[in-house]
Amino acid sequence: MEVKPTGQSKAGDWKNFQRVLLPPVKDLHKLEVYEAEGGYQTFRDALSTAKWTPPAVTEEVQQSVLRGRGGAGFPCGLKWTFMPPVDENVPRFLCCNADESEPGTFKDRQLMEYNPHLVFEGILLACYAMSIKTAYIYVRGEFADWITHMEAELEKVYAKGYVGQNILGSEFSTEIVIHKGAGAYICGEESSLMDSLEGKRAYPRVKPPFPAQKGIWGYPTTINNVETLACVPLILRYGGEWFSQIGAERHPGPVLYGISGHVNRPGVYEYPTGMLITDLIEQVAGGMRNGKKLKAVVPGGSSTPILTAAMIDGVTMDAETLRDAGSMMGTGGMLIMDEDTDIVAWLRRVTHFYHHESCGQCTPCREGTGWLENIVSRIEEGEGNIRDLDLLVDLCSQMEGRTVCALADAAAWPVRYTIERFREEFEARCRPSLVPGAEVMETVE
Amino acid sequence: MTNFIKDPVVMMAERNPDPVFSNDELVFSDQEKRLIERWKSQYPTVDGAIMRVLWLAQEKFGFLPPEVIRLTADEVGIPYANAYGVATFYTQYYKKKRGKHVLDVCTCFSCQVCGGYDILHYLESKLGIHVGETTDDGLFTLQEVECLGACGSAPMLQVTNGRYVMDLTHERVDALIDTLRKGKTPEFTSVTLPQDEDELGGNRRSDVKEFQASSPRPVSETVR
Repeated sequence: MEVKPTGQSKAGDWKNFQRVLLPPVKDLHKLEVYEAEGGYQTFRDALSTAKWTPPAVTEEVQQSVLRGRGGAGFPCGLKWTFMPPVDENVPRFLCCNADESEPGTFKDRQLMEYNPHLVFEGILLACYAMSIKTAYIYVRGEFADWITHMEAELEKVYAKGYVGQNILGSEFSTEIVIHKGAGAYICGEESSLMDSLEGKRAYPRVKPPFPAQKGIWGYPTTINNVETLACVPLILRYGGEWFSQIGAERHPGPVLYGISGHVNRPGVYEYPTGMLITDLIEQVAGGMRNGKKLKAVVPGGSSTPILTAAMIDGVTMDAETLRDAGSMMGTGGMLIMDEDTDIVAWLRRVTHFYHHESCGQCTPCREGTGWLENIVSRIEEGEGNIRDLDLLVDLCSQMEGRTVCALADAAAWPVRYTIERFREEFEARCRPSLVPGAEVMETVE
Repeated sequence: MTNFIKDPVVMMAERNPDPVFSNDELVFSDQEKRLIERWKSQYPTVDGAIMRVLWLAQEKFGFLPPEVIRLTADEVGIPYANAYGVATFYTQYYKKKRGKHVLDVCTCFSCQVCGGYDILHYLESKLGIHVGETTDDGLFTLQEVECLGACGSAPMLQVTNGRYVMDLTHERVDALIDTLRKGKTPEFTSVTLPQDEDELGGNRRSDVKEFQASSPRPVSETVR
């Protein structure tokens, strides 16, 4: 193995880390097991003790420095404070974003299957903190089996009286509704998710106004990822300070790493943030398959820039370090690729994904993603011109930041950075330039 | 003027001269209507229920030709154009008739580097069809789909918007096709977390079999 960790892990004693999001308890997805493990006690306390007023809950979440786990990494507590003051005549909504469709991400499905009550409790606490009376869980349509599973568990929660009118004899009432999507990556974007909930074509909206001002049906709305909401009961149970001391200082907490690709033990792992990528590959996921050499790592879902094997030395999995290393934390869904991977073919498939999933609202994205795919396909087939590489980078510049939502950026980044970091491989696939001396001229420029 | 502004119904009829379903068939049962009323009550306006009702209609009729979309729009109480817009936006709603079992093979991202295309091409040669086609006996439709969110168990496929079949090899594909040909449902797989394997000695769920028994029949079995 060539990979040798040189940097410092920020995860502390991660080998003895006690899992909290997916603790090792058999049948934890059953309500009675979850309650025996102390589940819903935090919610009962929040309702019954004077200490936990709604602002106190938000305060505690802010103190924990919990950052959103859906990709953008926005501070969760801060997002909650954006909600306008309570007005009895204006409904407010919470939306749990379980439309997990970023390629390489598969943590939320495991959380919904193995610990759904932690998600429900998180939703209830968030509703309590923001005085929300209706919460929607937007689950992608492909997760049909897991929707069935969640609905069965939700029925038990209703029967037990944790959800509904005047919960546990208090003044607080809230409803939880599971909404089934029907296969559109764009619904993971919060404003198109709202359109989808309203029963429309899922086109992203221009921001501002932000969801907290004008959300679903024009009412104040907060949208959080499944994993983010699952952290909330833990923060209240063990304290915001406990949470903020796990892992990396500015991006703390336990996180679900989804490791896929050419490793011996792919799967979802729960560890603190700030793990060394090399530790995750070598010690957590059992090393590279068939003893192959590492070629590249995509650290957080398909839209995060790719990192070469040389670039991951000493890099830890937290927002700040990854940004400095030239990538992003994203969703924590890591793809590990070995030396045999055809990067050009891989990029062609990624561009196809974005072309397929572009909603078609903004021209730069609708047309741009198609051209990205066409040009990369041409290079893959050996028909590309060496100048196509600069054309692609130029095309990326014309897409980034020119659309309503970030899908165009998400489509452009993989192309831009894969070409930048694996340029030789692309050049090797291109035909020599038809214009004699064109390559030389470009170098001079 | 009347010739100029066409009624949308006439326009749709021109585009689709032969409706697949007769008016007698295009009805929801009382039980289904109760379900629809419940969904409508869960949103501030009735529009929110359209996605659920389209799912219900697809499970009942197998796919969504214009007359079925019109039925859902009328049932929810929204304009036909809105329902049509929703049905044509999302990939999981079938606008054309598919085979009894739709095999959605993931070839995106992790599945690609782990051999998704190998599985897709193997299925093409095994079934004797290309991607997007249906076998002559109407049993199988083969599709290439985008990431299904099971990257740790790549390569994988989904059977008719329902069950996930993961960690595919040629042998497992053979077994799956046999299972489907016999009219059985593939089993639900509960993916074991690697950390659970170490700390609990296997999968944490003890009720996978019960879940399999209690879960609703896949859509493909209700297709007429």
